[in-house]
Amino acid sequence: MIRAVPVLPDGRVRTLCRMCDSRCGIEVHIRNSVLADITPAPDNPGNQGRLCPRAHAALDLFYHPDRIQTPLKRTPNGAFEPIGWDQALDEIAGRLKAIVDQSGPPAVGAWKGEGVGFFQQEGYIRRFIRALGSPNYFSNDSVCFNGRWLGHHLVNGFWNPFPYFDQADLILLFGSNPPVCHPPFLREFADARVRGARLVVVDPKLNPIGCWADVYAQPRPGTDAALIWGLIRLVIESDRYDHDFVDRYVVGFEKIAAYAQRFTPEYVEAESGVWADVVRTIGDLIVRNRPRVSLYAGAGLEHHPGGVNTVRASVILSCLAGAMGRPSGLFWPESPRLASLDSRNLFLENGGRPIGADRFPVLAQMAGEGHSLSAVNAMLDSGEHRLRSLLVMAANPAVTNPNVLKVREALSRLDLLVVSDFFLTPTARLAHYVIPGATFLERTELHVHPKYQTLYLAPQVVRVDGIPTGYELWRDLAGRLGLAEWFPWPDETAVIRHLLEPGGWTIDDLTAHPEGIQYAPLRFDRCLNEPLPTPSGKVEFASQYLKNLGLDEIPEYRPPEAFLPASPEFPLTLITGARKSLLYHSRHGNIDRFRRVHPKAEAEMHPDDARNLGLENGDTIRLVTAGGALIVAVRIVHAAEIRPGVIELYHGWEEAPANLLTLDEVNDPISGFPWLKGVPVRVEKI
Amino acid sequence: MNIVYVDLDRCVACRNCQLECSFRQAEITRDDGANIWVQVDLDHRAIFTSTCLQCETAPCLAACPAGGLTRDPATRAVVVDRNACLGCGMCLLACPFGHIHLEQAGRVASKCDLCGGDPRCVRVCMAQALHFGDVEELAEARRERSGRRLAVRATHREEAAS
Repeated sequence: MIRAVPVLPDGRVRTLCRMCDSRCGIEVHIRNSVLADITPAPDNPGNQGRLCPRAHAALDLFYHPDRIQTPLKRTPNGAFEPIGWDQALDEIAGRLKAIVDQSGPPAVGAWKGEGVGFFQQEGYIRRFIRALGSPNYFSNDSVCFNGRWLGHHLVNGFWNPFPYFDQADLILLFGSNPPVCHPPFLREFADARVRGARLVVVDPKLNPIGCWADVYAQPRPGTDAALIWGLIRLVIESDRYDHDFVDRYVVGFEKIAAYAQRFTPEYVEAESGVWADVVRTIGDLIVRNRPRVSLYAGAGLEHHPGGVNTVRASVILSCLAGAMGRPSGLFWPESPRLASLDSRNLFLENGGRPIGADRFPVLAQMAGEGHSLSAVNAMLDSGEHRLRSLLVMAANPAVTNPNVLKVREALSRLDLLVVSDFFLTPTARLAHYVIPGATFLERTELHVHPKYQTLYLAPQVVRVDGIPTGYELWRDLAGRLGLAEWFPWPDETAVIRHLLEPGGWTIDDLTAHPEGIQYAPLRFDRCLNEPLPTPSGKVEFASQYLKNLGLDEIPEYRPPEAFLPASPEFPLTLITGARKSLLYHSRHGNIDRFRRVHPKAEAEMHPDDARNLGLENGDTIRLVTAGGALIVAVRIVHAAEIRPGVIELYHGWEEAPANLLTLDEVNDPISGFPWLKGVPVRVEKI
Repeated sequence: MNIVYVDLDRCVACRNCQLECSFRQAEITRDDGANIWVQVDLDHRAIFTSTCLQCETAPCLAACPAGGLTRDPATRAVVVDRNACLGCGMCLLACPFGHIHLEQAGRVASKCDLCGGDPRCVRVCMAQALHFGDVEELAEARRERSGRRLAVRATHREEAAS
């Protein structure tokens, strides 16, 4: 049993849930020094007194019997032995120092995952690697999130992923399943629907939200951009877009208007499989309901080699629909005046360009991080630029990065792999040292919710002796490497005091307002009144920046065949990465009650395809792609549930990683994203 | 009296309620059959979610030959007494809505007991489709809604004609 010391013996602590990035308000109930329950906080505007079942799993994780509670060292025979905190840090620091002395600081990299949290934890890791003098910061974002982040920033210089859907007259969801991925969106969707708003869902897989839509379209994976361009064409053709907006704020309208010409509804149908009439219907809905249009681009749009262009096209469509400067659409939230733990610009100036910057300069320049897939290559490199050591903070690339066999081989070749996590994940099992990770319940950290422009202090609920908070780990490691001046604060409270200084807030201010402090009034029209943070200061339908780098000036559509020629060897299409309601990527599979709901890996298949292959429900199949093969059970779904010819496989199964099949060397030229959705595949009955 | 009611116009079929209910069942009975059901009819793209209505004149209560069902004086919910229940299944047959099931492990009846007055399904309904309140509230919301819906439909018709 874990040695938990709650901050109170009995009572409730108000904090934010960080089991995903929605940051719902919660109250943690403590009875007799046991964390007994998690209930919704009453007045958080995001969750409004409700909470999804994943929140409660924070307690399952906290008290999990398999949780790592002491540093572990891998012995020569492959087993792990517990060691003391000081011994672990002394040895890690010693080995890091030797590597830095021999090969220079860039031979060391740091890799952030989502397991422990966001924002402040990322700041520590970026700061540490910069202090060490290495530019090699990597993260899970380079296979998820960054594609959309770049797509939005390239067009209008900002991205608020949380529009006020409840104020929309038309919601368009592309490649997204919010009931599973973003539970707080649901209340807003329902409010909008009840008010009479229309809903369009575009997804190769019919999720229940698609049953709720006015229009559901099931495109061929990887062709969303064709549909979006078809809609851009219809909106321009209708002449109902805002000419004044285009004249005043937009660069490159003529270029996109000319390019859009070929995307007739019939052409879109031929590319995407979405009927021409459906394309016209969606176009008509946009024109009729503008400007209160919420277009949400999910991860489905970014997980393939045309991802960033698809997202850019979706932002252009939003702009033409009048969404800029509206709460329901694209607005530019202000940031609170906080000190920074790390500036991305300094990071780039200090120690040269991160691994992958030569191949994917946009990722390095805009997101300030290296390319994690290139990092894997650099670990396998035998030359002077070999990445020799990696510090992994609650990431699990041995399951969640594409081409996992290669990833595992690369991690095994490292001279020093340190993994901080709650459990011995497949990544941690390859480590030389494993450091116990603190759950969010054990940390005090600041959070900013851009949608409400609210600053929160999420306080610590419980302390566990022997498990360092995120800050303590980096502080103590930096101290042993002679970098103590980078982490001068004694504890997290002191860090927070430092962060709050520029804005003039105190910890007491934030503690007195557990519902958060709004740091600036919401000005939805800010993006219309201030120059945008793009190179031209305007909305860039065409990007000179990308053109100068030899990349697409306007977000051209390329069919999947442009990235890998169609081959009779792989007649079907594999999509991965659709979420399961109780799992979070590779996490939570070790919570028993969740496991009963999602017991095993299954590839979902259309009944027609199953019939053609002579398959019955539950049969074992082998999936084969250009990347690899995987044996898994088949589940034949309802004929409406998936597009014929498409096979869906969840990406987080430890025992059946979909990333045996995904392609790490076919990349989006802008973001460097791998091919996770729409991969050509063959099914063999065994 | 307060019941769990479903506002079907708001239900997105995320199934959080059904999952949470099954987790609670598993805590108290080692059986994870839920007592709130989300049905998605993919043929018609329709969603239907339902749970026990705690009927005033409850056919299940009348049908029980063993005193295995009683009305909780505090919540007015019809609850199963797991020691008295024979597992005969009469209540399942009597319920016109199919809102009672037989536990697989214990072979006794299982139905919604309103979690003693703080239904967990409502807590996890992020869409706010589930409410715990008087059934009259639901009716009132319905009345208001249907009026508004007629107005919205008229607007859509006008738009379509324009």
